[in-house]
Amino acid sequence: MSDATVTAKRQGPSWLILPGIVWMALFMVVPIAMICYVSFWTQTTFNISSTPTLASWKQFFASDTYTGALWTTVRIWLIVLATTFIIGYPTALFVGLFVKSKTLSTVLLVVCVIPFWTSFLIRVLAWRPMLGKEGAINIILMKLHIISQPIEVLLFTELSVIIGMSQIYCVFMVGPIAFMLGRIDRNIIEAARDLGAGFGRIFWKIIFPLSLPGVVVGAIFVSVMVLGEFATSSALSGRKVNLLGNIIVTQVGSLKWAMASVTGVILTVVMGMVIAAFLRIVDLKREL
Amino acid sequence: MESRVLKPMLAVYVVAFILFLYGPFFVLGILSFQEGPDGGPQFPITEWSTYWYRQIFGLTPPSRIAPLPVGEALIRSLILAFMTMVTSTVLGVMSAQAFRRKFRGSGFVFYLIVLGMMVPGVLTGLGTSLLANNVFDITRHWYTTAFATHVAYTFPFAFLVMLAILNRFDGSVEEAAWSLGVSPWKTFRKVTFPLIFPGVLSAMLFAFTLSFDEFPRSLFAAGGSEDQTLPLAIYGTFSVEIHPNIFAFGVLTTLFSFALLSVYGILMGLSVRRARKLAMQEEIA
Repeated sequence: MSDATVTAKRQGPSWLILPGIVWMALFMVVPIAMICYVSFWTQTTFNISSTPTLASWKQFFASDTYTGALWTTVRIWLIVLATTFIIGYPTALFVGLFVKSKTLSTVLLVVCVIPFWTSFLIRVLAWRPMLGKEGAINIILMKLHIISQPIEVLLFTELSVIIGMSQIYCVFMVGPIAFMLGRIDRNIIEAARDLGAGFGRIFWKIIFPLSLPGVVVGAIFVSVMVLGEFATSSALSGRKVNLLGNIIVTQVGSLKWAMASVTGVILTVVMGMVIAAFLRIVDLKREL
Repeated sequence: MESRVLKPMLAVYVVAFILFLYGPFFVLGILSFQEGPDGGPQFPITEWSTYWYRQIFGLTPPSRIAPLPVGEALIRSLILAFMTMVTSTVLGVMSAQAFRRKFRGSGFVFYLIVLGMMVPGVLTGLGTSLLANNVFDITRHWYTTAFATHVAYTFPFAFLVMLAILNRFDGSVEEAAWSLGVSPWKTFRKVTFPLIFPGVLSAMLFAFTLSFDEFPRSLFAAGGSEDQTLPLAIYGTFSVEIHPNIFAFGVLTTLFSFALLSVYGILMGLSVRRARKLAMQEEIA
């Protein structure tokens, strides 16, 4: 057998990619195109017709409820992105860089991942007895005489949504960052230390820049999940915090498909800008 | 040295971090033993009991609190997760296999697939139900439209896992088989597949757990309220009053996941041991 045929066979025929392309086109690209299309449809009380109109778009930007949801989404996304990074980075630093034993770092990562085998909705719900007026945090703080009155802003506020999301999503920061930190050649750090650099300098000049791809991958994970959220906000804010996702769910619930689609398009655009910005910093395919 | 101060500090921090991750679970676990049917989903525990666990299995007399509608929903979710697992793993292996050769537009196709794990479920769910309602005029079900969106979500994970495995794969064993005249399909079955099997297992585990817990996609794409999946049944309890039965159920599902994880661990261990054994036989021969 000639070398050429062996090489051709080794890499596998390229038609194998077709089913995957077809599936993603049919069940991801076409549905999103459909959302864009329907956003220009005419909404009647319980139905939609395909007569083109800009009515729903105008309605979106004329209403404080809808534009407010857009800004709430962006604000909560930025806050949760910051908290997950601040909470997650030190953990990743310990797991990826400071733990010498491979077993211990694996064990720590597994410990971080275990909660994910509980239903997402139950994980969200678990914050209610934690944060409530008679919740665990208030009881503990009162027992310790740190506070005399229960803190009421803990539950059914924007704060509870942020706390809940930070806990649920911070692990997605820890994983990629710890992975990148683990790949750093220890000799570089040793060399810098031998040359007299302090830890602060080593961290800012070597460790942090090398962990940056991990930060970006983690940020992409957290961003796409927070931007598309609606369950956490409705369960922990008592419907006070409305994200774009919440708008879509309530609009579909009242059969306002056109308005749900407009919100969907806006969410897609926000998402697209965020992902594109992050991918400019790091080439995902190369980091694999 | 800084690391002598820094390392213990970070260790303490990590302990606090783990407490933060697990805190709600402890509270959830404790409250699941609340007395029933009158005990609420908050402190204090009026009396310790296993009432809510018994209620899930239908072992308590009927009370004003309806039991969770989980029985059939659980079976539906398991079947859906299984279907999704098989389909997305097959698609993942095929696509990753194709990616071993550079082909035109491979960068584009890579991002097309990977986007599936990035697009929020609200969007694919909404789009799919719009298509089902207005273009194809079909009823939405968990085993049709929801299944399609689930695979579009889990297939990218399976694909990435297989890509990582095949990137480190030594192709010379396949070449050896081909030069001995073995057909490509038989080579894949007898040589390639056994070698990539640990990766296939991981891809399956990913797809199964993601689909089993998938909620936004199902919410839109599974249609009617008669045939709910498990997350939908749990979500149904959100809007009404919460009772500790949902906490007890949370504890049970966590235990179930651990069982699943153990099965995965055992299978993984067995396949590693078998590979080692084969390698040893080869050495002897």
